[in-house]
Amino acid sequence: MEFHEVSKWYGNVIGINKLSIKIPAGVTGLLGPNGAGKSTLLQLATGQLYPSQGRVRVLGQEVWNSPGLNRFIGLCPEQDAFYEWMTGWDFVYTCARLGGLNRPAARAAAARTLDAVGMMPNKDRAVRGYSKGMRQRTKLAQALVHDPDVLFLDEPFTGTDPVARRELMDIIRRLGAERKSVLVSSHVLHEVHTLTPNIILLNRGRLVAEGHVRQIRDLIDKHPHHIVLSCDDYRKLAGHLLTWDDVEGVRVQAREKAIVVETHAPDAFYSRLPELAARGGFDIKEVYSDDDNLEAVFKYLVSK
Amino acid sequence: MLFHLEGVTKTYGAITALDNLSVTVPAGAVGLLGPNGSGKTTLIRTLLGLIPVDNGTGAVLEMDFHTRQLDIRRMVGFAPEDECLFPGVAGVEFAAYAGELVGMRTKDAMQRAHEVLDYVGLGEARYRRVETYSTGMKQRLKLASAVVHDPKLLILDEPTNGMDPAGREEVLELARDLAHNKGMSLIFSSHLLPDVEAVCDHVVVLGAGRLLAEGRIKDLKQFHPGCFEVRLKAGPAAFARRLNNLGCTTESREDDLLLVRVPDGHSQQTIWQAAADAREQIRFLRPQRSTLEEIFLKAVERP
Amino acid sequence: MPIFDQGYQHWSGELTDHGWRWLTITRHGVRIGMKNRLLRIALLIAWLPAAVLAFFLCVWGLLEQKSDLVQPLVPFLAAMIGPEIVNDPKAYRVEVWTLAYDYFLLTELRFSMLVILMVGPGLISRDLRFNALPLYLSRPLRRIDYFVGKLGVVVVFLGLVLVVPSLIAYVLGLLFSLDLTIVRDTFTLLLACIGYGAVVSVSAGLLILALSSLSRNSRYVGLFWLAVWFVSSMVGTVLAAVNEEHRMHHQYKRAVEAEQAAQAARPSQVAHPVQPEKTPAGSKQRAGPPQVDHQRIWADIQREQREAAKTDWRPLFSYTTNVSRVGRHWLGADRSWEKLAETVPAEERDRYLLENMGAQYPWYWSAIVLAVLVGLSVCVLNFRVKSLDRLR
Repeated sequence: MEFHEVSKWYGNVIGINKLSIKIPAGVTGLLGPNGAGKSTLLQLATGQLYPSQGRVRVLGQEVWNSPGLNRFIGLCPEQDAFYEWMTGWDFVYTCARLGGLNRPAARAAAARTLDAVGMMPNKDRAVRGYSKGMRQRTKLAQALVHDPDVLFLDEPFTGTDPVARRELMDIIRRLGAERKSVLVSSHVLHEVHTLTPNIILLNRGRLVAEGHVRQIRDLIDKHPHHIVLSCDDYRKLAGHLLTWDDVEGVRVQAREKAIVVETHAPDAFYSRLPELAARGGFDIKEVYSDDDNLEAVFKYLVSK
Repeated sequence: MLFHLEGVTKTYGAITALDNLSVTVPAGAVGLLGPNGSGKTTLIRTLLGLIPVDNGTGAVLEMDFHTRQLDIRRMVGFAPEDECLFPGVAGVEFAAYAGELVGMRTKDAMQRAHEVLDYVGLGEARYRRVETYSTGMKQRLKLASAVVHDPKLLILDEPTNGMDPAGREEVLELARDLAHNKGMSLIFSSHLLPDVEAVCDHVVVLGAGRLLAEGRIKDLKQFHPGCFEVRLKAGPAAFARRLNNLGCTTESREDDLLLVRVPDGHSQQTIWQAAADAREQIRFLRPQRSTLEEIFLKAVERP
Repeated sequence: MPIFDQGYQHWSGELTDHGWRWLTITRHGVRIGMKNRLLRIALLIAWLPAAVLAFFLCVWGLLEQKSDLVQPLVPFLAAMIGPEIVNDPKAYRVEVWTLAYDYFLLTELRFSMLVILMVGPGLISRDLRFNALPLYLSRPLRRIDYFVGKLGVVVVFLGLVLVVPSLIAYVLGLLFSLDLTIVRDTFTLLLACIGYGAVVSVSAGLLILALSSLSRNSRYVGLFWLAVWFVSSMVGTVLAAVNEEHRMHHQYKRAVEAEQAAQAARPSQVAHPVQPEKTPAGSKQRAGPPQVDHQRIWADIQREQREAAKTDWRPLFSYTTNVSRVGRHWLGADRSWEKLAETVPAEERDRYLLENMGAQYPWYWSAIVLAVLVGLSVCVLNFRVKSLDRLR
């Protein structure tokens, strides 16, 4: 997918503001607070909206007004709008046929996809009787049934219980491994975190950050890295670390027998650490960074 | 003791929602987990005395739920999962009405509604009509309406549904504060395990109407002695080989994580030593502990 | 402590008994109802008939006092009601008051149905649509408190339309006639008004609550209610009218044939002027054209119609007719009409009564129909608003 200086506004209200981005193969997470423009981006990418400015391309072609491209695109929308009287099987089979498969191919594809999402035991019940998790799985099935190259998933895990979520995540990761492009938009950060380290962060219609989470974190220099070290002799360790140049501050967590080190040069810090732990006389039991994750990146980049 | 059930069974025709369920839960913050259709909603309705059960006894806050339903509901606040705000009233009117429905006098209800809305952080917005609220504000108003009569037990059903990360943080913060600092017991029913872990101390896992697991989260999360999770700056493959030569067993996990088991008698010093020798940067080193998700999946998969 | 905790505070106050919970629900419902501007306007307009009633009662009171103020109106009244009555107001006081209230309540019944159309549909269907039932049922109140509370909203508004104006008009009429014996004579009227208000509130209220619980969309419920009001009314009227016409036609034919047969059997010729025949069946050529006494035939027909109306069940189809029949019986309107009919010449009496009295079947038929409707409404409510005891 490629967005080239795309803007979209509705009347006076801005949806997307001069967005330029190339989304590679593999699984990418699309994040942002409410009103950031995530749904607008997805609608532009699937050709449901025409950009006010700029060009949107998927698989090399402009996506507006090219229905043939939908053969290669799969969309799992956020809204919950089924034909309630259809059975799960009917629904997925019809979507397969609409996707261009002939009857035997559609039947095989529907069976394969429903089996993959775990809906085979319930395929002959009307959608009206499905729980939220089952509806989500059926929605995912219809997005996958025509074996698309590009997949857009809008909040795919709402209402699913952890067992189903595990299975669906495995499917998505497998698709990413097959070098298909999957764009997953979600509010639940830790779900995106387990799926993929590559993210796109939007705020107020503009692109705030894109790439690998940890690389982004390294680039945020307004907030120093917080690295937690756990050691029995934590106060002595704290004193020793304060003699290092790149350490800017140390906070003591007495209850956990740990210290939190602040530094703007994590690379230098980490490279000296194994020597200290192995031969410096300190038995460092744990080391981790509690803000090297998606939640911290999100908070630092998006908070007002 | 928060609530206890003895042999409770509830069937809807051919479907058994609760199957001879017996559980005792102490006061505090309790997470209620379970796959879809496991009976969580039925359990909550049973505790509130909203549905009759086929057989079994039980008590909520030391009150029998067969005979003292109205008393139980005076002490319990419930924030349901779906939208439940009807339009046409201002936020503070809604909260005051919710209080009056419990039996508070009109003046008490209005005073208390303002107090509670201050607590949840709805400032000037409380004078606007409910239909103009964003999702986060609606959830907070729901929470406020549930605590306006100062219940001893607060039941939250999927409170962070559909909220963006900032809003989720706030609701979880409120729930944590109420449960830990203000002495209110909490039943937190959710599918999002990190949320449950962040707020609750105790957890109850249901499956197909039966009790699958129950206990304090700290106790359920066992330590695996001698096992460590390691992440390096570079890829794990070379380091894994080095560790294998030293006698450790390694296993690769997602997100470049390496699971290392050191031989008996060794500690994480072995790993540090290996890193210092190889000039590798260790960015993450922690003893392995099962996550709540692993506990849940293990409990659910048991026959 | 100089710095006060701004966080969550505990509250320990008194909670009222759940028996009072319906009052909260009623108050809330009334407040929401009053926000509707159309409703406020409708309530104001509904008070106009009350003003007219009050005016009329005042005029009658002044008439009894033979006051000079009303002398200009006397010719009008005499033309409308009959000179005998106007000349002796005190004797006919009870009857006139009763009938004035009868007309008033009939008008206000129409307004009540309109008010219910504006207030009623949203009562339960809104709670169903916005999923507010868990909010109610998870609090210490029983289902019956909820229903009584919602019914209370209807009772309040109907009371404003039916009972309060009647009371005020009564007091005004009393003041203007300056005669306390009126109270002794017409006190039962007041009780009947309140009873009527109760019957309408409970029966119509339960009916609209049941309809409201059937659908999540209050517009459909409004349409249902309009159907109950208009369609049932039309069905009842049409059935009754068709039946009446049919009967009258039949009787006329039979009467004319009987008359002709009787006259043909009589030997002597009575000197009657030749009159053209009106019957299609009269083509029997006997000795001279048979004479038919149309006046008598018509009088007989009217009497027979009156008799038949006593067992005519067709108006039972109309909801408003049912309610007003019960009300009229309690007011004693039928007796009043009969007394007034005595001032009318004998031949015209039956026609007069037929025109003015309306449905004549026994009142307890209507009471039974209303009771059945109340029972049905309660069943529907019980079924629709189950206390969340279902799977989803």
